[in-house]
Amino acid sequence: MTRRLAILWLAAIIGIALLAPLLSPHPPDQSLFEPLTPPGKGLPLGADALGRDFLARMMIGARLSLLLTGLAVAVTLILGGLLGFSAAIVGGRYETAVNWLSNVLLAIPGLLLAMLFVAAWGPGIAAVILAVGIGFAPSFGRVTRTIVNKLMGEGYVMAAQASGGNNLWITSRHLLPNSLPQLTSYAGTYFAWTFLAVTTLTFLGLAGDPSIPEWGALLNSSRSHLQSAPWLAAAPALAISLTVLAVHAIAGKEPQR
Amino acid sequence: MVSLPERPGITALVTLGRRLTGGMLTAVAAVTLTFFALRLAAGDPVASLLSQGLTTPEQAEALRRSLGYHLPLLQQYLHFLNNLARGDLGVSLYSGQSVSAIIGSQLASTLQLATLSLAIALPLGILLGSVSSWKTRPAAQRTASTLSGLATSLPVATTGVISLLIVGLLAGGQARGAQLWLPALVLGFAASGPFARAVHSGLESSLSSPYILAAKARGLQRGRRIYWHALRPALPAAIALIALEAAFLFAGAVVTETVFSRPGLGRTLVRSILQADFPVAQGIVALAALLYVGSQVVADGLGWMLDPRLRDRG
Repeated sequence: MTRRLAILWLAAIIGIALLAPLLSPHPPDQSLFEPLTPPGKGLPLGADALGRDFLARMMIGARLSLLLTGLAVAVTLILGGLLGFSAAIVGGRYETAVNWLSNVLLAIPGLLLAMLFVAAWGPGIAAVILAVGIGFAPSFGRVTRTIVNKLMGEGYVMAAQASGGNNLWITSRHLLPNSLPQLTSYAGTYFAWTFLAVTTLTFLGLAGDPSIPEWGALLNSSRSHLQSAPWLAAAPALAISLTVLAVHAIAGKEPQR
Repeated sequence: MVSLPERPGITALVTLGRRLTGGMLTAVAAVTLTFFALRLAAGDPVASLLSQGLTTPEQAEALRRSLGYHLPLLQQYLHFLNNLARGDLGVSLYSGQSVSAIIGSQLASTLQLATLSLAIALPLGILLGSVSSWKTRPAAQRTASTLSGLATSLPVATTGVISLLIVGLLAGGQARGAQLWLPALVLGFAASGPFARAVHSGLESSLSSPYILAAKARGLQRGRRIYWHALRPALPAAIALIALEAAFLFAGAVVTETVFSRPGLGRTLVRSILQADFPVAQGIVALAALLYVGSQVVADGLGWMLDPRLRDRG
């Protein structure tokens, strides 16, 4: 039941994100209405402080939030995956070094680590994507390393090694296909965490331009009208919460932190 | 012959020592990372002041010299470590105030928020965790496990804003308590999730363990007494979490302070990043890293005190 609702919600959000310009009743960046118009006919979510259709901004926001999250997850998966695979396969001192570095990075709370990277590169959308992506990479790297290490002890991998298969062959033929189902079972949880981190950083204004129609940024800018226009805050707050809950509801395993 | 349980002697001390040195090394590495990440990626912090037209080239050069930015990077790093050891974190590029003074002036507010949140989170977490294992009351059980699920997964930013909206609707206008109690409740609710989970899994395993079966066989009644009996071994794990939660509370304070426009270290950190005020950002992140590593060592220690079985593990 919850699972079906979650899938339905996510499908709707993804559909809106893909088709935002077609579905949107008004352009999201033009001041066509009286500032802070309450929700009503033709304007289901009212207008923001600059008189822009808030529903249109939420729709384009779905696209931005999902895109930022997807890119950041891709950074995590690629970077963490590379580190995890290489550490497990190469082993020895290299594995110890990777291990140690990830432990150091994991010693800083994730949000602070991401904020540290944003501080280094200066606020901006690319900084947020990279910061969050790199921020979760040590954790995913550890998950990958554990899984691949276990596979390295399997009979067929040792047989492949004994019969002279090189690392590239063993990785592409045995390790990758056999670890993929386990790795993808964690993907949902990482998506949820990343979505949370991205919207939190944009909420804190770290995406640079505070006027981008991204859900976290929308939530932040609506804080100044909490009394006069509460619907402006309610919409992004609910959208973010429901999306996080939906992803958690269908996500698989959660790595140990 | 029954062998006597070993006293927590030399082995325990060695393990403790190893943990401590490991923690110190991690802390130093984290601080080093902060320094080099900021200095290498961001380049010259004074240049950003210059590009914003806040200083003249001559002033910038003087500032660079006074901050030691003209020295080679490695020398700057050694300076930084040396100063850090003496508690000197440099000065803010904007206000010229010393970073330790800025941290000192904001620390009390963040500590107040974190302590109150923890005081809410621990009992709330234990309550939610125990009720969510209460099989004889399905409705209460379902509510508690839903609440603890929400606590772990909902972001503080949205729960904070939603709570402000609800309080605004109920009270109308400027609500009282929006400065301390509401943020503490929001952060405390989020922090109660891990406690609830620890208590819940502890209860699940102890409720199915032989000693509870034995207690039932001896005639201990079903209901509250048996829960109390089963809850006790689950508590140490939850209490050992307190130390780890300290770091979570700090990260949560960053968001909570922004949502509720409350002064504190978190909000100062956000502002320093937006203004490219590197010494301040560096100081706060370094402090957070030290706090986190320290709390892990304390968590280990607490775990040892509460559960003797952990002492002999490496």
